[in-house]
Amino acid sequence: MKSEVDLELLQEYLDGDAGAEEELFARYDREIAVPDELWAGIEKRIVPVRESGTGQAAVRWWMGIAAGFALSFGFGSFLLLSHKSESIVALKLPEGSPVVVQRQKLTEEPVTQIKRTNKPIHADRTTDNPGVLSLDVGLDLDEQETAKHIEQTENLLRSIRNVPVSDSDDEVDVSYDKALSRRLLIENVVLRRDAEMKAKFPTKTLLADLEPFLIDIANLPDRAKPEDLRAIKERVQKTEIVAALVDYQDRGTDKR
Amino acid sequence: MKRLTVDELSLEGQPGAFAGTLMNSSADLVTRVCAGDAEAFRLIFERYSRPVISFIFDMVNDRSLAEELAQETFVRAFRAIRTMRRETKLSTWLFGIARNVARESLRARARAGNHLHLADKAVMDLSDDKPVPVEGVLNKELNDLIRRSLAALDEDKRMVFTLKVLHQCSYEEIAEITGFSIAKLKTDLHRARAEMRRRIGSYAGVGYEV
Repeated sequence: MKSEVDLELLQEYLDGDAGAEEELFARYDREIAVPDELWAGIEKRIVPVRESGTGQAAVRWWMGIAAGFALSFGFGSFLLLSHKSESIVALKLPEGSPVVVQRQKLTEEPVTQIKRTNKPIHADRTTDNPGVLSLDVGLDLDEQETAKHIEQTENLLRSIRNVPVSDSDDEVDVSYDKALSRRLLIENVVLRRDAEMKAKFPTKTLLADLEPFLIDIANLPDRAKPEDLRAIKERVQKTEIVAALVDYQDRGTDKR
Repeated sequence: MKRLTVDELSLEGQPGAFAGTLMNSSADLVTRVCAGDAEAFRLIFERYSRPVISFIFDMVNDRSLAEELAQETFVRAFRAIRTMRRETKLSTWLFGIARNVARESLRARARAGNHLHLADKAVMDLSDDKPVPVEGVLNKELNDLIRRSLAALDEDKRMVFTLKVLHQCSYEEIAEITGFSIAKLKTDLHRARAEMRRRIGSYAGVGYEV
């Protein structure tokens, strides 16, 4: 047996009465008390922030910059070393003459790079969506790196997709794309593992999807056969990977 | 016991519970915190701690965890308060952070395989025929029923239902807190209400079945 009053209220609520709903849930008491220790705990955690927040932020910022430089330097060195033998020819001249280092031209025509005209990732930060706050503090070297990586990969895939291939071609020069793909592949592996460790699963999945394309392009010979290139182009089109990359970037832009 | 609503707790334009803070609008407090006034942040905490803990409790259904997450919410709020736009309501902004913190905790718990299994059976167990003669006891039972029924909703519906019905936020505020579209909010709320009725109906024993 339940109290008559409450059964009546319940009946009204169940009949869809908005007032009854309000009254019923007004009775909902979570028995929440705010313990004194709660503020003490907060105070303890924010005092160091108050005292050294600016300093720490500056240190983090500089460390991020330093890490960025180190990473760029590492990739640069790797690229330089890996292509030194095939791209640079030293011509030895008679003694007394200066040594001239000549850069060999690898491609007949420069590969066209399509630049995205979308707004930059951080340009439109007008919304105050609290959804970003969990990562907002020091936003976020990782995310910026990933966004830059995704954009470069998108450009590469567009470039490959748009290479004109005809059956009459003997070979197509893809040395630039191949070199770029090697660099992006290494970067991709690092970012994918990082995203996995940080439980950023959509990012991880996208990067995992990219990897086969980067591997295939990186494994092409400098002068690729048209059928090899066509196979990659078709896969890029069929899987709509470029659209997925654009979508990812747009979501990143919206989020900010 | 009268439930405090977000509007009542915001104290903006109405007399509030904290006499010392009457002349402090939320915007003033935020400005003062940005200028380095720690006392202003304590006032913000006093003003919003209860609704924030309540909201988190509604989401995670665990009292001590709710307190822990409320602490995290306020620490994050303090660290990010300079990024808050002036036109944003402080309560909405805090609920947004609380929502993120609660979601992260729920995700972590789900990843750890430590799912909450509250559920239908527990809710159904309440619909017994034991005598409940005293209204106080009935209210306690109702509290328990509402808590369990809420916990049985999926996460999005629970959040929308909690913010709309228990905290009486507007659709616009909920959209800002959750990032959902108004259309989704309305759909989720409609379904959540139906589900809550169905569950609570089993308690009343008037033709609703869980």
